[in-house]
Amino acid sequence: MGEFKVHRVRFFDYMPSGIRALAYNRDTERMAVARIDGSVEVFHSSDRFFQEKIIPGREQCGIEGLSWVGQRLFSAGLNGGITEYDLTNQKVKYTVDAYGGPIWTITGNQQGTHLAVGCEDGTVKLFEVNEDKIQFERNLDRQKSRIISLSWHPSGSKIAAGMMDMIQIFNVETGHSVHRMLADRGVGTSRSKECVVWSVVYLSDGTIISGDSVGMVKLWDDQTGTLIKSHNVTKCDVLALSISQNEDSLVAGTSEGTVVQFQFVSVVLGKDDKEWVRTRTFKNHTHDIRAVAEITTAVVSGGMDAQLVVRPLLDKIEVRSAASALRKIHFPHRKLVSCARKSGLMLFQYSGHLELWRLGESEGKATPGSSLFVKRNPEKLLHLKVKGEDHIGCSAVSPCGEWIVYSTASSLRLYRLHFDNNNVSITKISKLPKVLSSANQLCFSSDSSYLFSASTQSSVHLVSLSQSGCKFVGTLKPKSGSHQAIHLLAASEDGKWLASANSDHEVHIYNLQTRKVHCTVPVYSSAVTAMGIHPTTNCLFIMYADQQMCEYSIEQNEYTDWSRTVQRKGLHRFWLERDTPCLNVMFNPQNPSHVILHDMYMLCIIDKSLPLPDDKTQFYNQLTLKSLPEEQRKSHSHAFKISKTFKDILFVELMSDQSLVVVERPLEDVATQLPAPIKQKKFAT
Amino acid sequence: MSELTQNQFESSDDELPEEVAFDASKSVALKSVKDALDAAKREKNQLKEKRRKRQQLFQEQKKRKLLPQELLEEFDTELQKQTYPSDNRGIKKNVSTKPSHNKKDEEQETRTMPKKTSKSLPVSYRVMRIKDESDAKSLQQRAMDFVQSRLYGTGTKRTTNAELLSLKKKRGASQGAAVEFANKKLGAYKKARITRSNKRFIRQHKLIPL
Repeated sequence: MGEFKVHRVRFFDYMPSGIRALAYNRDTERMAVARIDGSVEVFHSSDRFFQEKIIPGREQCGIEGLSWVGQRLFSAGLNGGITEYDLTNQKVKYTVDAYGGPIWTITGNQQGTHLAVGCEDGTVKLFEVNEDKIQFERNLDRQKSRIISLSWHPSGSKIAAGMMDMIQIFNVETGHSVHRMLADRGVGTSRSKECVVWSVVYLSDGTIISGDSVGMVKLWDDQTGTLIKSHNVTKCDVLALSISQNEDSLVAGTSEGTVVQFQFVSVVLGKDDKEWVRTRTFKNHTHDIRAVAEITTAVVSGGMDAQLVVRPLLDKIEVRSAASALRKIHFPHRKLVSCARKSGLMLFQYSGHLELWRLGESEGKATPGSSLFVKRNPEKLLHLKVKGEDHIGCSAVSPCGEWIVYSTASSLRLYRLHFDNNNVSITKISKLPKVLSSANQLCFSSDSSYLFSASTQSSVHLVSLSQSGCKFVGTLKPKSGSHQAIHLLAASEDGKWLASANSDHEVHIYNLQTRKVHCTVPVYSSAVTAMGIHPTTNCLFIMYADQQMCEYSIEQNEYTDWSRTVQRKGLHRFWLERDTPCLNVMFNPQNPSHVILHDMYMLCIIDKSLPLPDDKTQFYNQLTLKSLPEEQRKSHSHAFKISKTFKDILFVELMSDQSLVVVERPLEDVATQLPAPIKQKKFAT
Repeated sequence: MSELTQNQFESSDDELPEEVAFDASKSVALKSVKDALDAAKREKNQLKEKRRKRQQLFQEQKKRKLLPQELLEEFDTELQKQTYPSDNRGIKKNVSTKPSHNKKDEEQETRTMPKKTSKSLPVSYRVMRIKDESDAKSLQQRAMDFVQSRLYGTGTKRTTNAELLSLKKKRGASQGAAVEFANKKLGAYKKARITRSNKRFIRQHKLIPL
């Protein structure tokens, strides 16, 4: 099959950022996630929670809340402004200052006409949502303490606000406070600190549910302004609440990392009187949970441990399928590492800087499975900091290792590297063509003479690179009207073809000599996670988010025979049940029928010349094949060779000297650098 | 007054009360009234003194806060010098007052300190008020500090990530040592401290003969 020398790289100290807010859009089935570093990500909940869009953040952002209004996404933060995002082009559209100091919460009413924000100075400000912008309408009565959380009544006539030590109900028409309910401070040392009502939920029958810093979930009646019931959920804070769409299930996220579910059920079977009863507890997190959301069949939670956990509610699911498994999303579904295949260099993309490393060298031979002696350690060649406050959206290094390019939301920078003996020097290319203002995705051609930059309206700008600098050559535009941003680019080895995939599931193939669209791959229902063009046969190999694969021949404009066989026969269910997407597709020049894929937990080589496995054959058969004698191996082997030696893989690439580079980021190392967790006393410790 | 009562107590109860002269009691009453008035007057005077002293102190502080007089005068003259040529071109009426003032200040100025030429800032510099900048930033910073103190401040029971991972290992399927001993990067800091304190102990107690 193949023996490879593997560079196991663990010096990419990537730290994912904690999750601060979640917002679910029921009509489009998209989950928006806001992280503490200011970046906003959009996941498609019915497409295996694939991360469709990423909008990079900026320094000192302090994002605190997210809200969908129709198809538009708004966020508000401690910098005092309300931001609307352009989801088509994956960037910030505009920011409106609310002039109330830091904003703690933002929420839209069910009718989709108004946005309410709760500010530090004690005011609830109402903004009217217009066609293209939002307009300040008025303030509700100003209060003495800060407004931490807000919730509209479904009719839109009343708002419940959670503040320090109390909850107030406002009548939206008049702006006056109708009721004031005091949350008590608890016993012991917490008596001297104010009780912070971290979140409130307003139900349509007039019940208000609040979660506060004492660890209680309280139910209040809005007609009388009194407490109905109080549940002591935890000793630390209850940080987030979320209600389901038909208002019969509530989930609360705590500081300890537990998610508690309450359901509105009748206590005695048959009788009609229902009440809120605590039913289930989920312990999937280790650190504070800052946001929970209940979608129709699952509970999604995220917090300071930077994982997005999707826990399906098994009483709502009929069929056991991929949607019914617990899913944890640790790493982004984009490539953060790029490799200069011919010169052994790797570029690591952090949020505020780039690092260029040279791989080490080893010597000697050893048996498969053991490690070789390292003759020369990997060394860090370059640490490139970004100017300005924006975070890096995408970056790339050319295959020869001479060009580095990165793009933020506001600028694009191109650098040229010079190597002489042991020194590395870098020069910035200052005169860039005006079209190159920022890019959604960047890619170099295989001979490093062209730079492809994906920009607005699904088009790709073509820039030629040479000794003297760079020159704008042309733009590749698709024929269809989709304007969605491109998230993947793949260039062919011979420099004739370029494939681009955008968020509308469209894959266009361009002919680089005529600079026009050559063909379009038929649109599939699932998003494209990885693409690669075979160096000799020029077939485009595509991996989708639902773990399906296809191979499209560019020159013949149709699916290849192997691809049709795969579609007809179907894939093995162990392959389809994997829960992390494949992020890179590579080819081996020595074995043209091999395709190398990887996801977060496994490395796979597909041999197209071998038969495909059907459901009855053993899928992970590498160990059994090793134990069989040589003659029997051929009859038992199938096309999928899977290796699970490497854990928590971020990136895999095949270098030109036939060695594999595997960049791992052990989750334990990530866990040691997270913020402090709550101390929990466990039995026998 | 007390003498009178004493006399009264000394005599028995059967006897008639003693006669007290009208003048004596009158003088006693008047004296008490005068005393009260005097006390009130004294208090008023004391308060007045206090207020006066405080006012003086404030004025001194204000004087100290302002820039020294000479600098202010210099700025004043600079401003007038700059406006003087333009004013000259314009209205002639106002010029009469300004030159005299200017000359006086100029003389004063030349006596006190040498003339300073006005410098303009380099093109890439911007003038910003520190008060405005710090206000906006401090609000956001204060809000972040509030959340930080409520979640991670005093009163919250927090532990370290190393302890969390070590406990997981202790109760896990394959039990192992605490994370500080197994993970080289984590344990490095503690190990360095321990080796240093060991060396110090050995040197102190002279366990290794020199």
